[in-house]
Amino acid sequence: MLRFTFRRLLQIIPVLWIIITATFFMIRFVPGGPFTAEKAVTPEILRNLEAHYGLNKPLYQQYFDYMGSLLRGDLGPSFKYPNRTVNEIIGDKLPTSLELGFISLAVALTIGITLGTLAAVKRNSWLDYVCSSTAMIGICVPTFVLGPLLVLTFAIHFQWLNASGWYGPTDRILPCLTLGCVYAAYIARLTRGGMLEVLNQDYIRTARAKGASEARVVFKHALRGGLLPVVSFLGPGIAGILTGSFVIETIFQIPGLGREFVNSAFNRDYTLVLGTVILYASLIVILNLVVDIVQIWLNPKLKFE
Amino acid sequence: MSPATFPSAVVTPEQIETGNSLWHDAWSRLRKNRLAVCGGATLLVLALLCSFGPFFAQSYQDQNLDLGAAGPSATHWLGTDTLGRDLFSRILFGGRISMMVGLVATFVALAIGVTYGAVAGFFGGKIDAVMMRIVDIMYALPFTIFVILLMVFFGRNIFLLFFAIGAVEWLTMARIVRGQIISIKKMEYIEAARALGLGKRRIIFRHMIPNILGPIIVYTTLTIPAVMLLEAFLSFLGLGVQPPMSSWGVLIKDGAEKMEEFWWLLVFPGGVFSLTLFSLNFLGDGLRDALDVRSSKD
Repeated sequence: MLRFTFRRLLQIIPVLWIIITATFFMIRFVPGGPFTAEKAVTPEILRNLEAHYGLNKPLYQQYFDYMGSLLRGDLGPSFKYPNRTVNEIIGDKLPTSLELGFISLAVALTIGITLGTLAAVKRNSWLDYVCSSTAMIGICVPTFVLGPLLVLTFAIHFQWLNASGWYGPTDRILPCLTLGCVYAAYIARLTRGGMLEVLNQDYIRTARAKGASEARVVFKHALRGGLLPVVSFLGPGIAGILTGSFVIETIFQIPGLGREFVNSAFNRDYTLVLGTVILYASLIVILNLVVDIVQIWLNPKLKFE
Repeated sequence: MSPATFPSAVVTPEQIETGNSLWHDAWSRLRKNRLAVCGGATLLVLALLCSFGPFFAQSYQDQNLDLGAAGPSATHWLGTDTLGRDLFSRILFGGRISMMVGLVATFVALAIGVTYGAVAGFFGGKIDAVMMRIVDIMYALPFTIFVILLMVFFGRNIFLLFFAIGAVEWLTMARIVRGQIISIKKMEYIEAARALGLGKRRIIFRHMIPNILGPIIVYTTLTIPAVMLLEAFLSFLGLGVQPPMSSWGVLIKDGAEKMEEFWWLLVFPGGVFSLTLFSLNFLGDGLRDALDVRSSKD
């Protein structure tokens, strides 16, 4: 177990290095620099700007400079927001995105596991059909349709909630529900499948034979095994919630890092793009590792594969 | 999903003569899956409407600024947008692009995934280990972010869009194909093909892949909605299909911006898009139940 964790940790380093290097060079080979979009800058000013940000040095020099400061945890200055560093911008925006992500994930897990378990326990009843079709709707109505529809209904028609913004606790409801629903649907389907498989196993029959109550059988014996597919989905699920936040933050005008990332890409703010990609990539790679470890902890059979 | 249906237990003489091939079996099972049939029929209707509808419908470019955005009426079934363009025609034209992206990008993913998986599975050993390790690592990468970067930096070119989406969605296909190839590698007919002295490429493409078409088809139908979703996602962010072309993602984006006054601009494109995803998913699930030999036995 420890050896496995250690080996996987070591693998993270080359993966992250490849991502950083690929993104770095991809951005530099793009036609148009960060200052080309601005109102005609005179050549002198352009030269000064480039000198200030070190863009006039040879490419390999820029690369080593960047990697060096990255090792010190410095993501450099932003090209578009004068006097602000990328670290500051990320520190400013990330908490909002994390809050959005965590609440959405909690929503997804709660709704998904409840629906999935209900559907599996009452297999082929009307309850199963209701839960399963709700899940299908969740999968087929994408966030960028569901979000505006919810706004249309609850904010514009009934005027119960704000259409956008991120101020009071009620402003969390619509964005987190929108982002959580899609993943709730996937989780419900996976839970149903996993639970159905587990509920047919001998040890469940044994538990029933011993006289354990139905609730105890489901929650104590079946759920741990039945949730395995959900755990393996959490890796891609979390990655999806992170990228999904780009759209959600745009729809609900939430001042988070997702919207900032899309804007920085449009603005060709090299350092901000790089910094955000590195952050997202590290988050996703590390969370995937955590998911892998949890999976093995839950299902020791995997250790031998 | 409805449980797998059994082929009729009563064997009539005709059935003995025609035989029950895998495809024959699968077709009869699929036909009994009402949801899958509905999905397939809906898709057929949508595809026909999008392909031929625009020849009959009002032009999607005809502006009628006097009319402006008007709700659904007899002349404009689904209403018009702020420039007075007929929404129904716009949805049909957008559907062409959305479906084309769905098909072409899926084809790119299919080509990469099948070749990669077949090579890994066929050669096995170290080659397989390295190739599948690469897939494992790529699974963990934030690909959507890279697609966004590609689209931003290299212009929002529709061919780049096909390629970028296809390059992201091939991983699962590669895994499925590899597993299937490994399971049939030791079969006698492959041995026979080897004994005949056929080349490796010929064995893979002429003898192995035709025998694992079932899982490939199933997964392809499930890849199309994923691809269309990604295209719409990018278009919604303003990174996908660019005006004057439009796709369903573009229409949804426009609709979401104007929904406060003109609800139909959001509801109809969103509805048609979701309906398409529904149909594709139901058809894909139905095909999986129909073609999965394992599930048909228990």
